[in-house]
Amino acid sequence: MAEILETLNRIFQDVVDDKNIILKRETTAQDVDEWDSLNHITFIVAIEKHFKAKFTTAEIRSWKNVGDMCDSIARLA
Amino acid sequence: MLFNSWPFLIFFPIVTALYFLAPFKVRWLLLLVASCVFYMAFVPIYVLVLASTIIIDYFAAIQIEKNEGRKRSRWLLLSIIFTCLILFFFKYYDFFTWNVNEAAGLLHSDVTLSALHLILPIGLSFHTFQSLSYVIEVYRGNQKTERHFGIYALYVMFYPQLVAGPIERPQNMLHQFHEKHDFNYDEVISGLRLMAWGLFKKAVIADRLAQFVTPVYAQPSLFDGGVLLVATLFFSFQIYCDFSGYTDMARGAARVMGFKLMLNFDRPYSATSLSEFWRRWHISLSTWLRDYVYEPVAMGLRDRGMYGIVIALMVAFLVSGFWHGASWTFVAWGLFHGVGLSLEAVFAKQRKKLAKAMPTWLFNAIMLVLTFSFINFTYIFFRAKTIADAVLILRHISSWIFPVNQLFSTHIPNLFHGVTSVIASNQFNISCALIVFLVAAESLQARANIGERLKWSPWWVRWSAYQAGIIAIAFGGVWLGSRNFIYFQF
Repeated sequence: MAEILETLNRIFQDVVDDKNIILKRETTAQDVDEWDSLNHITFIVAIEKHFKAKFTTAEIRSWKNVGDMCDSIARLA
Repeated sequence: MLFNSWPFLIFFPIVTALYFLAPFKVRWLLLLVASCVFYMAFVPIYVLVLASTIIIDYFAAIQIEKNEGRKRSRWLLLSIIFTCLILFFFKYYDFFTWNVNEAAGLLHSDVTLSALHLILPIGLSFHTFQSLSYVIEVYRGNQKTERHFGIYALYVMFYPQLVAGPIERPQNMLHQFHEKHDFNYDEVISGLRLMAWGLFKKAVIADRLAQFVTPVYAQPSLFDGGVLLVATLFFSFQIYCDFSGYTDMARGAARVMGFKLMLNFDRPYSATSLSEFWRRWHISLSTWLRDYVYEPVAMGLRDRGMYGIVIALMVAFLVSGFWHGASWTFVAWGLFHGVGLSLEAVFAKQRKKLAKAMPTWLFNAIMLVLTFSFINFTYIFFRAKTIADAVLILRHISSWIFPVNQLFSTHIPNLFHGVTSVIASNQFNISCALIVFLVAAESLQARANIGERLKWSPWWVRWSAYQAGIIAIAFGGVWLGSRNFIYFQF
């Protein structure tokens, strides 16, 4: 799980072009200034591409924080 | 009923007093009746329009919750179609007929549709969106249905936010109607203070600026670019004070009774990008469009990369334009914002590089000016009566700023002379001073919570400030002429 979180962190840093951001399991979009609705879509696309996965809209909407995203990815693996 | 009217001055204390005196189990009924009285002060029969929206969405939500699979989607679709049909009939039918007739004329066809010339039910777009928010949230499984019909009706009709928002979500409002709110002195004072600040913004600033903006935008061809530029700048503060003033009064009136309405404005003109502006301006509508229009479209088109995001933005702002009014000027306004946001999304990385290449304060200052200028540019379309008027205003302003035809002319245009042909010079000076005061007060509020500071200051300081505020509203307010709120028409 720590590996998934680390990968998500790296993907997110690339999306927002900021290497200083550290995502934790409890991080939400409200906690990160750059995590707006535009970057959210780009982030999801990058995750799907990296993990070669396709999430349903309902699943994406159910994510409340980074931890939920990690759990969804872990279930697909 | 207007918040800035004598009837409301009687209505509000009576309803509030009765609310706290009434037993908890009948408070919902009291608020519902009060909300009906408030709404029926405009066009009484239109309460039936509101009732139809409430009935449709109340029963549709129950069906959505009861059913599974495609049936759920069908009920959602049905609810959206019926609710939007009401909106279409009252708000867009005449616009539709006008466009059909124009198109028929161009095609030399004999087809003509008659317009209905109906008066628009006040705040129709607001409560339509609030009601739709409920069925969508039930569909998404984020909200359980409200089985108490009276409470659900109150969710749509709660008088402080009934005609001009904030457009609330069921998750924030419904549970509040089930909770008992006891009289809380601090909340009451804080609510009254917010109402007073809202009334100040509306009566003292917005209505004063309107005295300049209204005649200039009524006949823009009579004025030079300098006057039109000042009118546009004034309009940006007029609409902000008008709408955020209404929201403050709505939030304040609700807070007095212990209800918490969402923040709708957060110093929008301090934004250094268009996307930041939309996180600060009319937050309840922008988040509505984000969650129910932009997100589903962007999510569906996410494989198309940036194209998907651009399409989603354009669709969301096209809806926003139409939401504001049945006119091509509003559509143009919405589309300009869509284009602006798309450009921001496309050039996000270049923007970041630029930010790193110069001092932060300089970058922020440049971006603030650019963002504010762009917003003002779009306001020309928002405020103009027609697209032709908007183009004329733009032409006059640009030739005033860049007088290419008069490069060698020794004549210097006198802006002050042009401006004082519309209003007296002292009125113009007061208007400018009020804008400076507004910006200073809101900047101060952002740094040091003035309300909290007042709460802990000696009583004589506190009450002197309140008295000064009341005197400023009573004697500085514009109480003659039209005092309608701009957003009531939506």
